Amino acid sequence: MAYDFKSVTILVVDDNQPMLDITKSLLLTFGVGHVLTAKDGKRGFELYLQYKPDLIITDWMMRPIDGIQLAKKIRRERDASNPYIPIILMTGFTEKHRIFEARDEGITEILVKPFKARDLYKRLYQIIEKPRQFVRSEQFFGPDRRRHSEAAYDGHRRRQDDVEKMFPAGRSEMSNATKKDLEKARAHLSNVRDQAGVKENKDITIEDYDLIFVDSTD
Amino acid sequence: MGEDTPTHYNQKQIRKAEFITPPNMLKSKVGTGGLSQTILTKAQDLLESNSVDFRPLGEMSLDQLQDGINQAAVDLDKGEEERSAEKLIRQMLYPSMQLKANGGMFHYDLVTIIGDKLVQFLEVIETPDIEALEIVQAFHTTLRAVLLGQIQGTGGRYGAELVQALDDACHRYFIKFPDNIDPHKK
Repeated sequence: MAYDFKSVTILVVDDNQPMLDITKSLLLTFGVGHVLTAKDGKRGFELYLQYKPDLIITDWMMRPIDGIQLAKKIRRERDASNPYIPIILMTGFTEKHRIFEARDEGITEILVKPFKARDLYKRLYQIIEKPRQFVRSEQFFGPDRRRHSEAAYDGHRRRQDDVEKMFPAGRSEMSNATKKDLEKARAHLSNVRDQAGVKENKDITIEDYDLIFVDSTD
Repeated sequence: MGEDTPTHYNQKQIRKAEFITPPNMLKSKVGTGGLSQTILTKAQDLLESNSVDFRPLGEMSLDQLQDGINQAAVDLDKGEEERSAEKLIRQMLYPSMQLKANGGMFHYDLVTIIGDKLVQFLEVIETPDIEALEIVQAFHTTLRAVLLGQIQGTGGRYGAELVQALDDACHRYFIKFPDNIDPHKK
């Protein structure tokens, strides 16, 4: 058995015609039944409303509506027929803050250009086999920005487990081991205070850090 | 510590976030099993055998980059308040990103490698000063030479030398002007 994309419709949006043609050809080679194309986000949105595709692959930088604005419209506008539609953003940007920006506007997956056929397939595979949940809050609507759902995690939950270890069930006092750990931490802090020239009962403040910095550069 | 005591992991949620699991329409349409290696190889062959001439597209991005450099140079005389450093950088960054993104798709891998260095440089500088513009201009000249020379692929040793020279220029700039790095983008 293999994937059968015959009944799938994918909308590709890119203002660069050769790129549009190549992406379309790749999808047709994968066996996708219907590939719609648009040269900007405005036309892309019209095609999305008209044909209700199963997936959108869009470039970022376009005029008058770019890929991020297109995603925003789909996720937030009332007349959007399927706000949950997966959206893959094609971009040359790899810097973290750009990726976060795209993710925060409702992009499902990022496909970094230049890409190989396998890279495009991997994104499709992720969307098919590991779809993200959606989150709706006052500030955000879009695919869950964390890939892994907590429910599936069955391992050690460091924060929760550590607190439970400190206060075993039914006990309101710390265990001896925890007391020892805290004692070590206190001794370490005391050393730091000595080195920084801070008196025992005084809290370390940001000014003290400046003092340490000035001392060390002198 | 009682069960009701709030801790950092079981505190009441401040933002009411609702989790929704939409129906997986794609999965129900495509079934299981993935794509075969044969199809992936065929798709990759198609990508590699494309005969699109990247030069007109590359030239267009280079022209936009040159416009961005010129605009930033004109604005050098303006006061800090009149200049929008972010806008000026954006005018150079976007065409650089296009060169980086598209070069490798159409056999000009060296354009992608050089474009990547240029994007990294533009992503971290805070203001486009005269020295930074000289570096961007050097990138522009190099990229134009690659396109005019129709140097496809990585350009071998010659390509590596070009990249190294540009990389060195960026390093020298950051050593000379360590304060012109945007702290938010480091």
